[in-house]
Amino acid sequence: MSLIRTEAAFGSRIVLTHADSPIGRRLVKSLYHDPSVERIVALGPGPPPSVFDRFLSSDERRLTYSRIDLARHRSMATFFNSSLLKEARIDSMLYVPAHGWPTASVPPLAGGLVSQTAEARLVLKHALELRSLENLICLGSALVYRLSPGNSNLFTESSELDLAPDTSPEIRCWVNADMIFQGEFQNPGLRVVLLRLPSVVGTGGKVYFNPMLAGILKSRIRSMGFDPICALVSDKDVVRAMQLALHSTARGVFNIAGFETVPLSVFGRWIGEPSVPLPRALISLASRMSSFVGRAPAPTSTSSPHLHYGFTLDTQRARLELGFEPGYRIAPGPMVDGRFQLEAAPV
Amino acid sequence: MLDSSSPHVEPPPAVRRRKPALGSDPFALDVPKNRDKDKSNDKDRIEPDPFLDGLVLLRQTNAVPTQRKPRAGSPRHPAIAIRERTPPKAREWIDVPELADVELPDRTSWVDRLLSDEERRRIASIAHLAGGDAAYDRFGLSADVVRNTLPIMTALYRIYFRVKSSGHENIPKRGPVIMAGNHAGVMPFDAAMVVTDLLLQCDPPRLARTVVDRWAGTLPWVNIFYARSGQVIGTRESFADLLASGQAVVVLPEGMSGALKPFSERYRLQEFRVGFIEQSLAAGAPIVPTAVVGSDDQMPVLLDFSTFAKKLGLPLLPITPTFPWFGPLGLLPYPVSYQIVYGEPLRFYERYSAEDARDPELLRFLSRQVRRAVQRLIDQHR
Repeated sequence: MSLIRTEAAFGSRIVLTHADSPIGRRLVKSLYHDPSVERIVALGPGPPPSVFDRFLSSDERRLTYSRIDLARHRSMATFFNSSLLKEARIDSMLYVPAHGWPTASVPPLAGGLVSQTAEARLVLKHALELRSLENLICLGSALVYRLSPGNSNLFTESSELDLAPDTSPEIRCWVNADMIFQGEFQNPGLRVVLLRLPSVVGTGGKVYFNPMLAGILKSRIRSMGFDPICALVSDKDVVRAMQLALHSTARGVFNIAGFETVPLSVFGRWIGEPSVPLPRALISLASRMSSFVGRAPAPTSTSSPHLHYGFTLDTQRARLELGFEPGYRIAPGPMVDGRFQLEAAPV
Repeated sequence: MLDSSSPHVEPPPAVRRRKPALGSDPFALDVPKNRDKDKSNDKDRIEPDPFLDGLVLLRQTNAVPTQRKPRAGSPRHPAIAIRERTPPKAREWIDVPELADVELPDRTSWVDRLLSDEERRRIASIAHLAGGDAAYDRFGLSADVVRNTLPIMTALYRIYFRVKSSGHENIPKRGPVIMAGNHAGVMPFDAAMVVTDLLLQCDPPRLARTVVDRWAGTLPWVNIFYARSGQVIGTRESFADLLASGQAVVVLPEGMSGALKPFSERYRLQEFRVGFIEQSLAAGAPIVPTAVVGSDDQMPVLLDFSTFAKKLGLPLLPITPTFPWFGPLGLLPYPVSYQIVYGEPLRFYERYSAEDARDPELLRFLSRQVRRAVQRLIDQHR
């Protein structure tokens, strides 16, 4: 390993967004132990997570953490013009989006953009302006694909996106971010890689990137008579895919998925929150009532096809060009406090 | 929003910071280390991972300038071998063992008591098709659902429709195959009996996946049953994926026009669609003409109001001697006798390549060849 360390003079100098999110935290930890990564500048809206304590206080000084709101132009401009970034000579940016979705309680930013779209725009704008930057690796969602009826939707990277005018806002913001990055795939000066993810299963069975599991009134609801299939991927595999994308020369869109595909009802049982099948009219009523009583409305429109139909991803391109193979299997472990603990076991 | 109090900036010691020209730079503030090393948690420590070593080698490979050509005879960089370790490889076929090689499983539920030893052995041999530990394949197939519905399907197969079948020697024992059959009788019992026949009569048993119309996915509960029992909505990607994994796929190229054809045109095939020919050429899969004799008599269609049905949001609206007069019960098929015949496989891919599939005229021509082969089987065994 010492030999590798000496050879890593050409190591990456990385800026990483939303490092305080669950995926960001895991990514920072992995990058910190990656000998080919020389410097990490982690950004996040919140205070530095405690898991970074050891890295921040280390004598190596490879990690720096800064609080910044990525959706605000002023804060982003200040950061990208700061001496910190100039000194760091950043060559790669890893864009981890917030795993949440816009709700009515968060007012849209100026220009009517929801925060996620604004983030994507600002990140790309500053990435293009940063002369030293060569690689931009972004995480996106596979919810952007247009669903057909049934559970047999197998999407490749060239599948059609859901650009329908009645697309629900939480899907639309993913589509917008996706298309913002797609515009720079042919840029010769900046290599842009976009990884589209299905439901991401993190530590303790937490699920990200799946608005269907956000629930209404703290209960999981699905449309009666339908049980969409969910493609899953472990957050550890997401981190591996990002590292592979960082070190490869490939560009463009890549689907990333794990081994498991399970129906939403089974997945709900796995994470200890079974979903209740309700007629569509009743779901609509529950959504309106939850808005009326002041709670966040249903994260997905009641007419969204994602409540009815599932999809899986064809990961052949990632396998061939990135060398990505899922390394972890997701399965319910022993029951703790009346609920399963999802575990990601290495293959 | 910037928070100037909390940034933790650790600039490299060798770099000397300049004073900013315009105001203070919040990111250039030095924050004393208020974190204690003792707080570090051992669980955050990552074990040595060969994946990381591979990443380093991968990066070194990419760092080699691509313009520079390697000298002849020079030793190759070891990292290049790492990159070339992932050659393009086709999907592996999912094989099913022969019945003699399958151990008879114990009876674990009341459903097992309804199944014979051979049927349980057949179910055990295909259990791994449904994704192994995950219990569901990528399209929602569940081996448990197949096992639980097998007693019903077997009763329909043996008692209700009294199916007789022949020509199983024409079905490849392994690898992708497309079973192209006729379709009639409104309800898709013909496809269900072909799937059951392939499961019960072939050795090794083949769990065929039927390609169904998109509207089937919009029907509540029906879509769940279809997915769990192995039916797949017909998209190019799903069709190609099934063939790439070496599975048997049942297609009914007549579509709904075959199912709703009037009684006066029974046993006369309608125009075949061409998508399955394209898939056959792309995947190198033989097409087995499959004739189901009997399904045309199971529910004679007197009138078809499909155009009117679409305005009502219904998939179809046939008028039969029993439907809609007896309500949903009128959709039950008559207990006719089925005869399933498998013809000799047509291997178009030996003569035409996947590029030839772009020619619509050729696709139509080959589609008519298949239609003619199925029609001939029907005429011979009717």
